Amino acid sequence: MEQIKNDILDYLKNNSFMEREKTIDDSDSLTQNGILDSIGLLELIDYICERYSIEIPEDMLTPENFDSLRGITNLITRLAK
Amino acid sequence: MRIDAYILEHARKTPHQIALEEGKRSISYSCLDEDINIVASSLSDFDHCKFAILAESGIQYIKILMAVYRSGNIAIPLPIELPGLSLERILDSACINNIIATKKLYSRFGDGFFERFGTVIVVSDNTAVEALSKRVILERNDPELRLVLYTSGTTGTPKGVMLSDKNLVSNARSITEVLSLTSKDKAALVISPHHAFGNSIINSHIMAGSSISIGTMNFIGPVFSLIESGVSIFYGVPSTYRILLKYPERFKKAFTNVRTAASAGGAMDRVIVRAIKEFSPNTEILPMYGQTEATARLAYLPSEDVDEFIDTIGKAIPGVTLDVFDSENWPLEPGITGELVAKGDNILLGYLNDDAATEKIIIDGWLHTGDLAQKLQGGYIRLLGRKDDLIKVGDHRVNPREVEKEIEMNNEVSNVFVVPVSHELMGNAISLMVIPNQETDVEKIFAFCRKNLPGYLYPREILFIDHLPLSENGKISNRSIIEEYQHVKASM
Repeated sequence: MEQIKNDILDYLKNNSFMEREKTIDDSDSLTQNGILDSIGLLELIDYICERYSIEIPEDMLTPENFDSLRGITNLITRLAK
Repeated sequence: MRIDAYILEHARKTPHQIALEEGKRSISYSCLDEDINIVASSLSDFDHCKFAILAESGIQYIKILMAVYRSGNIAIPLPIELPGLSLERILDSACINNIIATKKLYSRFGDGFFERFGTVIVVSDNTAVEALSKRVILERNDPELRLVLYTSGTTGTPKGVMLSDKNLVSNARSITEVLSLTSKDKAALVISPHHAFGNSIINSHIMAGSSISIGTMNFIGPVFSLIESGVSIFYGVPSTYRILLKYPERFKKAFTNVRTAASAGGAMDRVIVRAIKEFSPNTEILPMYGQTEATARLAYLPSEDVDEFIDTIGKAIPGVTLDVFDSENWPLEPGITGELVAKGDNILLGYLNDDAATEKIIIDGWLHTGDLAQKLQGGYIRLLGRKDDLIKVGDHRVNPREVEKEIEMNNEVSNVFVVPVSHELMGNAISLMVIPNQETDVEKIFAFCRKNLPGYLYPREILFIDHLPLSENGKISNRSIIEEYQHVKASM
């Protein structure tokens, strides 16, 4: 879990509007804090699918699964099994 | 008539008709009308004053906007996708004393942001209105002014387009006619309501007494569910469609009952049109063209002509006259390139606090669009680029020279050049070519862009060059920059 979270955090620091020095809580909203927009989210989804060799059905592309570090980490853990 | 008066009319005739939906919430025309009165009553001490609106897309945004109209004041919706610095630039140039914010955005922007205002009003989710401070200052505004929309302001000088009740009503009426909107329709509003396109969706559907379902494009799952909730007209910029079409199976299912897929904000290309037709053969495609200076819409391409004329903007909407002028403002024959000009009740009053810019754009009552165009036989018009160097990035109109200046002034570099590069979803994104100096740090430039520019202007790459991208006659233009970029890429 921790490994996945750090991996996503690294991705966000390199590819999103998140400032490097900034820290975010696991449950902070990525869209409302201006870290990801709709295009950024799609790029993140592509990255996750490739990195973890998983497919994410459209129905799962929801705020519960993608708007926070916790949501994303949980989703990957569930789907990568 | 003012736009909010249509809500009152529908509240009387069809009080239970759903006006707006957002997630699981919805509101009827009669309840919407009552809530608008609640917010408007808190503005009754103000007489034709400017109110900035700081609200995310949703039911509350529309309530606040209509309440500003109803109280006889002037609305200035802030484009919240812009970084704080750009918003402050807009506020400075517009000299705004009053602001209305939703509770959510009030806490996100923080007390400090609101110190500059004499009047701060906060509207909570249940439409409880609280005046945190109140200072009524007399303002002398254009008597017809009702709404100011910002077309740029990301970098450089913000341009506030001043619109009147007549502008808003006449354009909404034209759009209602072109799309044959009725009270049975349900619109999907998933693009920003703070700009001309989103604003026109609100106005035309309110006029028709139909429903508007409001969402965002952030999460695809909820967007498709929104469309499946009975939407009859979907509106998107080209990149909206590109994003949705990434999910063909879900697109097919969601669009089965959508009668019209309308677009504006940028040219729909054949790839998008073909894909929509393939996945949803019963949906008519209706590309539209316009600009904020024309309230929203100027032209449309009738759906039966989409196959043959997709490379044109079609013809003028009802109530608008389009023509193509030469540099001395004489109309040109078909097939000869000039500037597209427009006349009608939807043409802007002018730019806020910028008479010089207004005089350049409205000449003898004709709006000069800045788009190069040719008339075709049958009244159709084909666009052939811009008169100036403006480009479209992610369906936003951008002045690359201003973006370059902004980056140059705030970073250790000699020169910066913005290159439009194609992007799978946005149509165009940008890359930067930089002539470095000894202190140049690429990471710092990326960090600057991340913090100070909106998302669609975040550069895909930064390339170093060692000389100016001049054309053969020694000038720098989009074309010479693109040629240099291709040259650099080819030698990499």
